[in-house]
Amino acid sequence: MTSMIERPAEVAAPAPARSRARRLPASAGQALVWFAVVALVVGPFFPLVYSSLRSKPIYLPGGTFTLAAYRTLFADPLFWTAVRNTVSFALGTTVLAVIGGTALAIVCARTNLPGRKAYRLLLIAPIVIPPLGLIVGWLSIYGQGGYLTQVVSKNVHLPVWNLSSIPGMSLLGAVITIPVVYLTVQAALAGTDSWMEDAARSAGAGPWRVITRVTLPMLRQAIVNCTLLIFALCLEILGIPLFLGAPSNIDFYASYLYRSWSSGANPDPAFVSAGAVLLLVVVSGLLLLRARLSGSEQRFIAAGARGGGTYRPLDLGRWRWPASIGLGAYIGITCVIPLLGLVLMSGVKALTTLEAPWHLFTAENWRLVATDPTLRRSITNSLLIAGGGGAATVLLVAAATLIAHRSGFGLRRILAPALIYPRAVPGVILGIGFFWTYLMFTPGALVRNNLWGELIALCVRNLTLAYVVIYPSLARINAEFDRAARSSGAGWWTIARRILLPILRPALLAAFVLMFITLLGDYDPVVFLQKPGTEVLGVTMLQTWQRGVVGPVAALAVVQVGIVAIVLLLGTRILGRLRRA
Amino acid sequence: MSFSDTRVLDDISFTVKDKEFVTLLGPSGCGKTTTLMCIAGFQTPDQGRIACGDDTFVDRDARVDLPAERRNLGIVFQSYAIWPHMTVAQNVAFPLRVRRMSKPAIRARVTEVLALVELSALADRYPHQLSGGQQQRVALARAIASSPAVLLLDEPFSNLDAKLRERARDWLKALQHTLGLTTIFVTHDQDEALSMSDRILVMNGGRILREGTPEEVYRQPRVRFVAEFLGQCNFLTGAIGTGPDGGEVLRTAEFSDGIKVQGRHDGPTGTIAVRPEDIEISSGIRPGAPGMGTEASVLHASYLGDHYHYQVAVGALQLSVHSQRPLAPGPVWLRIPPGVATFVE
Repeated sequence: MTSMIERPAEVAAPAPARSRARRLPASAGQALVWFAVVALVVGPFFPLVYSSLRSKPIYLPGGTFTLAAYRTLFADPLFWTAVRNTVSFALGTTVLAVIGGTALAIVCARTNLPGRKAYRLLLIAPIVIPPLGLIVGWLSIYGQGGYLTQVVSKNVHLPVWNLSSIPGMSLLGAVITIPVVYLTVQAALAGTDSWMEDAARSAGAGPWRVITRVTLPMLRQAIVNCTLLIFALCLEILGIPLFLGAPSNIDFYASYLYRSWSSGANPDPAFVSAGAVLLLVVVSGLLLLRARLSGSEQRFIAAGARGGGTYRPLDLGRWRWPASIGLGAYIGITCVIPLLGLVLMSGVKALTTLEAPWHLFTAENWRLVATDPTLRRSITNSLLIAGGGGAATVLLVAAATLIAHRSGFGLRRILAPALIYPRAVPGVILGIGFFWTYLMFTPGALVRNNLWGELIALCVRNLTLAYVVIYPSLARINAEFDRAARSSGAGWWTIARRILLPILRPALLAAFVLMFITLLGDYDPVVFLQKPGTEVLGVTMLQTWQRGVVGPVAALAVVQVGIVAIVLLLGTRILGRLRRA
Repeated sequence: MSFSDTRVLDDISFTVKDKEFVTLLGPSGCGKTTTLMCIAGFQTPDQGRIACGDDTFVDRDARVDLPAERRNLGIVFQSYAIWPHMTVAQNVAFPLRVRRMSKPAIRARVTEVLALVELSALADRYPHQLSGGQQQRVALARAIASSPAVLLLDEPFSNLDAKLRERARDWLKALQHTLGLTTIFVTHDQDEALSMSDRILVMNGGRILREGTPEEVYRQPRVRFVAEFLGQCNFLTGAIGTGPDGGEVLRTAEFSDGIKVQGRHDGPTGTIAVRPEDIEISSGIRPGAPGMGTEASVLHASYLGDHYHYQVAVGALQLSVHSQRPLAPGPVWLRIPPGVATFVE
């Protein structure tokens, strides 16, 4: 193809002088970001796998390659018990969560339930409530020594539930994971018109039949998607077994690893690394299957709000108000009452039915939180990590997302899977991996014993959240915006800075809020990294609880929930203003 | 060049002269936008060379591929691509800021360009506060702000309604003429192509089928696709013979006297193209009158405001005919004057 265009002899206006400072090619900066992301995401695995294959811990001289760690693991009957417990728990939780979440999504999105607009927001609440806050709240009300449990068994003399059993833990697990199912199914529903359902209704089908014969089959892919995700999440869960499993001596996989790590005769035994590697392989396999079944990047586009889905609500008839009240009761029982219990527990000496709570009021727990150096440090450290780490992560992920989807960088296709992967990896495994990384590589000494090590581990674990918020917004920006800027003479970094990032501002803010909330409450990766002086909220709560001191834990949880609520409120307000501008 | 297995552009070659307005015309998927994107630098051809004056943009043999941001072209995209977070003035100033012009110079140039496109009053508005036509002018202003060597437009009027499109057409042509800007315009709309261009390149299937001025391309399409794409056309196939004055005539069963055809053609048979508006149609003529033409019957008639459209049957043929006057009911007579028919392949 040949074409020649002759330059105009005279120009309409004087051509402006072009003095561009000599600068590095865009790909230099892109390579830097690429390398940072890939190193952070993939790095920890090599020391993890390596340490599982060594006969001696890495910091001791000598040692050979051996599979002894794996053999020790398989020989331990406690390991197999933990595996059985975990699988039963995962099955129970998944079934409950998928059924519950799907039902809730359909009811709130496709029927004329009264108050459904409010419920749509409320049902997402468990995602933003710090998980430990929810767990401690449940314990305070529904646990074996919980307030309501005592009321029912001692005062009313009815047979009572046992929260510290596997069914009980599955229930709590379902409550925590239902919002994930709800969001996924709701997004799938939002993207479709209801014409198929309308067609069924005009043929005479009642609402129940419409839902079972038309809506559910349409949602099949979303449901399979969630099922695999929830199951994988359940395999790695740490908080529930540590807090609830202790009285019944029930260990899950992650709590088994944690206990072996922290209380073993030999510190940091290799078989814990071996267990971590195994879990990693299983979870990765599940998520690979999920990606294969549902098309990996599509699910992130569906996660954004999509206009254009119109529907006529299904009429619930005389079930309208009972269903609405039932939903309200569900939210009350699963979220509101436990949170109230949390607040109550933070202000009393002990939560018991033997005496009315108001006789037991005490400010001792709060005094401790305000004065005890460890507790205070936990709060400030967590705030630092959440704020500083959150901001830094959002920026890094924003740059990486832009490179992955809007640049010509040669290796960009590796970035998107790399950004998704950390969330897929169980948090405890990432923690162990980072522990070994800091030990094995000399730069690790800089971060090993201070807050930076924990910050890096927590931020890497959660950077997927930022990606999942930023990518759909980026995908909605017309690619011709980039081209128009290029034809105006702008290089890649100028386009990123002046065009794409400003347009992405609402998404960046939303990503920061989500990161902040999550970093504040996350503790999985850090249980293996915390040292005196580098305490964070979640781990301090865990360790305080394990010592049997209950009140301050509730107080800390209230602090956590309070900070999250404030940040959420501020964030939504600012976002609303940004969107209106 | 190819996308997967499809050859999107196949041996495209053309030259645009200084200050010329050239249109790439063709249906969707013909490769016209791809050609434009290759010139702009957003796609790279597998083979060949693109140059602008002394600057070579692409030369596959010499491994030259100048990035889009260094080609100094102005582009108006189909979606306008006005950045929503910047005002009109900021949008237009962007190419100048990237070139590190001084602030006073930028301000002066932006004012000048906005006056050219008649948007001076809207300089501080945001894109969502503008109408479609206004957004399009912002896109144009941004494209010409940096005084590009060439202006490229990718179906810029396709999002405007019909009346606005006509006004925009005239306005753009006047602007281009005033500025003396070399322009390459891509469209699938034949009216735009015919009314604005100095030269048209009709494309289909990744190839250029016909090149010429609007009159040449319309009157002598030479290729059947081009004849059909630009306006309506009737095609008649028959035997070729020599007429009384030495020119070629086409004889068919219905027109046994022969239709005088422009140009020459090799071979005993051929196909000619005749435009509906060139066929003379009349009614109510006394049978036997000299020169009245071939008898036909009207199958269908419709009124389009500025002309009548008749679908007539002549023997086994069906022809489209346009007429300024209504016809009386009954048989009609067709006459194809000499010189209006041309050969097509």
